[in-house]
Amino acid sequence: MSSTTLKNIAVDGVNDVPDRPVTQKSLNDDVLSMVAWPGKVWWALFLFDLVVLAVALAAVRNLIVHGWGVSGFMRPVMWAVDITNFVFWVGIAHCGTLVSAVLFLFRSHFRRAVYRIAEAMTVFGVLTAAMFPAIHTGRPWFDYWLFPYPNQRQLWTNIRSPLEWDVFAVNTYLTVSSIFFLVGLIPDCAAARDRAKHPILKLIYTIFSFGWTGANYQWKHFYGAYLFFAALATPLVFSVHSVVSWDFAMAQTPGWHSTLFAPYFVAGAIFSGVGMVIFLLVIIRKGFGLQHLVTIDHMEKLAKLVLLTSCMVGYSYLTEFFMAWYGPSAAERDVFWFRATGHYWWAFWIMFSCNVIFPMSLWFKSVRRNMTALLVLSIFVNIGMWFERFVIIVTSLTRTFNPANWFYYRISITELALIVGSFAWFFMFFLVFVRVLPAFSIAEIKETLPMPKRRAH
Amino acid sequence: MILKMIDGLLNPPAPKFHGVMGIWYYVDDATDAVTALRGAGHKNLNVFSPVPHHEIEHAMEQGPSLVRWVTAVGGFLGVTGGFALCFYSIASWPLVIGGKELFSVPPMTVLGYESMILIAGLSNLLGMLALGRLPQLKQVAPYDPRFQEDRIGIWVPCSAAEAAKIEQLMKGHAAEEVQVHA
Repeated sequence: MSSTTLKNIAVDGVNDVPDRPVTQKSLNDDVLSMVAWPGKVWWALFLFDLVVLAVALAAVRNLIVHGWGVSGFMRPVMWAVDITNFVFWVGIAHCGTLVSAVLFLFRSHFRRAVYRIAEAMTVFGVLTAAMFPAIHTGRPWFDYWLFPYPNQRQLWTNIRSPLEWDVFAVNTYLTVSSIFFLVGLIPDCAAARDRAKHPILKLIYTIFSFGWTGANYQWKHFYGAYLFFAALATPLVFSVHSVVSWDFAMAQTPGWHSTLFAPYFVAGAIFSGVGMVIFLLVIIRKGFGLQHLVTIDHMEKLAKLVLLTSCMVGYSYLTEFFMAWYGPSAAERDVFWFRATGHYWWAFWIMFSCNVIFPMSLWFKSVRRNMTALLVLSIFVNIGMWFERFVIIVTSLTRTFNPANWFYYRISITELALIVGSFAWFFMFFLVFVRVLPAFSIAEIKETLPMPKRRAH
Repeated sequence: MILKMIDGLLNPPAPKFHGVMGIWYYVDDATDAVTALRGAGHKNLNVFSPVPHHEIEHAMEQGPSLVRWVTAVGGFLGVTGGFALCFYSIASWPLVIGGKELFSVPPMTVLGYESMILIAGLSNLLGMLALGRLPQLKQVAPYDPRFQEDRIGIWVPCSAAEAAKIEQLMKGHAAEEVQVHA
């Protein structure tokens, strides 16, 4: 019987994980062993998560009942933490489709071992992101007004507003990335269905597998469609965060009105998303003992992606400062000077250190292959990227053209609860996901194993 | 009670099949068997496997999936619909906002483009499900859970008279197991 280790997936590099034979059958065993009744650690994490989420829901209740007065923002800093959270989570969501779609089109084999986690992160990330504009409207029960629908007065949404573009872009992204995620699960859920003992679990997997049998005509159309999902999702990845960046860039506010914003935001989104994937994978591969499936080579490749995007983000920061200094706008110059040295200097330097200075340690191979270092760096990256959105939004709005409007925004306890709650909301989905659905793509990893052949070729 | 109902729903009585199911471990043996069976005139066979195999696809003479045409039509309808929505919504209440052009192409392009991706994605999904005969509510061949692990199954629907000949052919191509459903 043919067996191999998954270091075959990693074309180059040295695998320092002890060899453990992987066969087609043992791959099913390994991945499906995660789908089991959770242990004490999982329950403790899940209950803690629900408690945090309950506190955040109490904060949302306060916002809805008492109005936005309980938050810390006032005119002109109206976007404050809500839109910071929205852009942060949309950014997190971007990496999943990048890993699953873009790397699929480029035939980058290392994606196979990590893409399911990244895709799940995408779907849960967009679900988290979408909550913030919905709450931020102040009257969420009227949110359906955001969508164009036939109505008595023929009054439609303003399609010339970038905020309306966002409605289309984010909802398209949520739909397409969810479909992409669920379609990829079909063959693996069939494998889970065949092993499920409990009728409820069997029913869940039967529904998710669509009655998949692995017939030749099913594979033919599955991969026919999968290629097109990847081809459709790839431009979508770049367009969605570009559209999000135009929420800012279309305004004439100093610090926002720049053509740099679309590529700058896309690079930042990939940067934070890969950081979150690394964070999740380091914990999952250790927690479930799957170091032979997600090898150090895979982790190193993700670390290289973080390094690349860190350089792109750092270059964008410097370009912004250069253009402010070189350009004709005094207001632009003032805002950028204010960012680095003014009231919110600490936020700017947290952002710059976490996004540019610390990730430079990834130039060293020993850091890229050290899981503790990667875990710490991934946390720094996500702290840095949250502050990047905070800096962009708050420092520009707090210091617009008219000095009479200048206002120093302070975050309130309600908004802090929303930030922490967004993480609880995201991890609630994720904790359920790793215990209910196959968290690694059995079918795609299996394709990288040498197939059993009687005749040597 | 409910669990029993679900169990009954998920495990209906096995339908009666007429044909022969061969099971292989080695991909090249299965490929040879597909070629031989098709050569013997059994073109309507089905292959079940945990992953797609290019050798078997070639032996089955499978062309590219037609799902791309469904996706293309969906994409065309999406972009047309997106632009149409923009034109219609502006024309039905022509209100100048911020001194901007009423019929401005750049914002329409964003909405047209996103609509194209959305409808193409949904069409792609529907095309895949329809052409792949999913969801499959009724078994079309005897199913073995090993097809999701490491075994390849070849199902040839046939009459009882042909079964013995097909069984011989499959055994001649090193099938691990042959099940005759007559």
